[in-house]
Amino acid sequence: MASIMRPGLLRQACHATAAPQRFMSIRASPLAQQLRPTFAPSTIPQSTRIAAFHATRRHQILPALPQKVEGTANDPTPVPDPSPVHGSYHWSFERIVSAGLVPLTVAPFAAGSLNPTTDAILCALLVVHSHIGFESCIIDYFPKHRVPLLRNIAMWALRIGTLTLGVALYSFETNDVGITEAVTRLWHA
Amino acid sequence: MATTRAFARLAARPTAVRPAVFTRSFASVTDTAARDPISKAGEAINPDPTRKVVPESKTSTTKEPAPDKDAKIKSFHIYRWNPDEPASKPKMQTYTLDLNKTGPMMLDALIRIKNEVDPTLTFRRSCREGICGSCAMNIDGVNTLACLCRIPTDTAKESRIYPLPHMYVVKDLVPDMTNFYKQYRSVKPYLQRTTPAPDGREYRQSKAERKKLDGLYECILCACCSTSCPSYWWNQEEYLGPAVLLQSYRWIADSRDEKTAERQDALNNSMSLYRCHTILNCSRTCPKGLNPALAIAEIKKSMAFT
Amino acid sequence: MASQRIFQLGLRRTAASGFTRTQTAGRIVQRRFAATQNVNQETGQEILANQRLKRPVSPHLAIYRPQITWYASSLNRITGILLSGGLYLFGIAYLAAPTLGWHLETPSMVAAVASWPVFAKISAKALVAFPFFFHSVNGLRHLTWDLGLGLKNQTVIRTGWTAVGFTVVSALYYTFLV
Repeated sequence: MASIMRPGLLRQACHATAAPQRFMSIRASPLAQQLRPTFAPSTIPQSTRIAAFHATRRHQILPALPQKVEGTANDPTPVPDPSPVHGSYHWSFERIVSAGLVPLTVAPFAAGSLNPTTDAILCALLVVHSHIGFESCIIDYFPKHRVPLLRNIAMWALRIGTLTLGVALYSFETNDVGITEAVTRLWHA
Repeated sequence: MATTRAFARLAARPTAVRPAVFTRSFASVTDTAARDPISKAGEAINPDPTRKVVPESKTSTTKEPAPDKDAKIKSFHIYRWNPDEPASKPKMQTYTLDLNKTGPMMLDALIRIKNEVDPTLTFRRSCREGICGSCAMNIDGVNTLACLCRIPTDTAKESRIYPLPHMYVVKDLVPDMTNFYKQYRSVKPYLQRTTPAPDGREYRQSKAERKKLDGLYECILCACCSTSCPSYWWNQEEYLGPAVLLQSYRWIADSRDEKTAERQDALNNSMSLYRCHTILNCSRTCPKGLNPALAIAEIKKSMAFT
Repeated sequence: MASQRIFQLGLRRTAASGFTRTQTAGRIVQRRFAATQNVNQETGQEILANQRLKRPVSPHLAIYRPQITWYASSLNRITGILLSGGLYLFGIAYLAAPTLGWHLETPSMVAAVASWPVFAKISAKALVAFPFFFHSVNGLRHLTWDLGLGLKNQTVIRTGWTAVGFTVVSALYYTFLV
């Protein structure tokens, strides 16, 4: 508030050569400055500089759409129908899988024992965990209302990929040494 | 008596109606004659010779203070965009201020720039004490209220001020909050209850129940947290964002509210609540020191197996 | 007193009317340089909608201050994508190996890796170890947060840097010493 009581001090302090212009004059505005022919004497205060701002990279990924507001400002945004399968159940399931991965990754390497069952469970949880992780990336970065086709393609590609991984890990578990043993051997190779 | 005296003084005047030259002038741009001090013209026609003003030529001169030797000049880079020129790109404009003559807070600097350097600078402000939430903006890379943010006194470092991130800009530092408020409206931020109060007068709470609302009811909806959340940046049409979820939890946690299940159902989909990936920028940035991340975690916990 | 006040008020009003009359004298008139016009509700909404279409989006990712909160979170996602992406690629390659004539059975892979130079081995190990340990340790943080624990700002910052430190130490250990 102190600044309000001392109008004009700033200009004296910062730039003695500032043009003798009234503060409220529109001539001092940078807008006028931009519109002014270059040969006209500048009345813009020296304490003011304008630099071009790079708000957008040249190749911006999925830049935001022009703003559109559905309904009036007083309408609430639509509330989606409840679907616990994609909501709370999904979240709880994801946490259980993640929490389950912790002992399953530590135990085989710590104990050094090879149990095909734990190895199989580890593989299954890894597949599920990866799928959920990729799925949430797709939901985050390919909004349905924005790029519906790309979203669907990505989702189906992910489903096919997850299925492939499941089959591959199954055959790796059944025909080969199993994932923990393979990692151990590769690490010590 | 005072009125009589005033009346007497008024009546003693040569003219009760003051001539135009004594009246206050207004800001006028093109009229150069209007820049003459009014009092100068007033001196010339002063009717009372005994009260004649000594002209400035016969008095000493007080020079304006020279620029301070120890002036602390700091640069402020401020985001500018003018809706009157929609084709032009947003710009960063630099202003320099002497910190010795500026108040301690960023809002003081902004007000001073608007008052004394560039009246076209546009920003929202109201209470200047962190209770209205109007002056929320991104200062030096962090969302905060300009009125609660001290200007760093290190003049070598330049401050950068942007509007709240990933919002549509109305002008300069003013973001469009329509979507945010509409989302707030969608969580029905009011007490919903059908049963009347047991004593017929008020809905009573125990101290423990009331304590649950501490840290929730203080939210001023400045949108600092929501606009600091990358998830909200990418999906703000569908994800509600930390501020609105905190408000939703404020009513879920309220012991007097009877629509808890409905409120939870409204959040129980993949977008509204579960786009929160516990990034925790929200709690980090909250200028009121609240913890939206904790509120969201509590909602998720309460809904975990329902 | 009341009558006096009324009289005074009347006098003031006279003065005020004089004020407005003399205002038309010319140079003291306030001038408006922006012409205004009244529009109805629908036109106003239309103008607003058109203005909205032209609004820029304020800068976000590039200007937000690097903080352990969102940097750790984005790293968590990136490392997850790296690890899972590697797993997916391996799975697809493993299924395609018989038809393509590749040998992705464990013994042949171990033999192949064993023939690599030390530098390549260490880089490969580091490339796996750093993402793996970061994702695991940070995953533990996320699990505690989901229990509603450790969400205070100071705790978040401290555990964040602890996770980074633990990642570096254990990844270096497993890269070079195991």
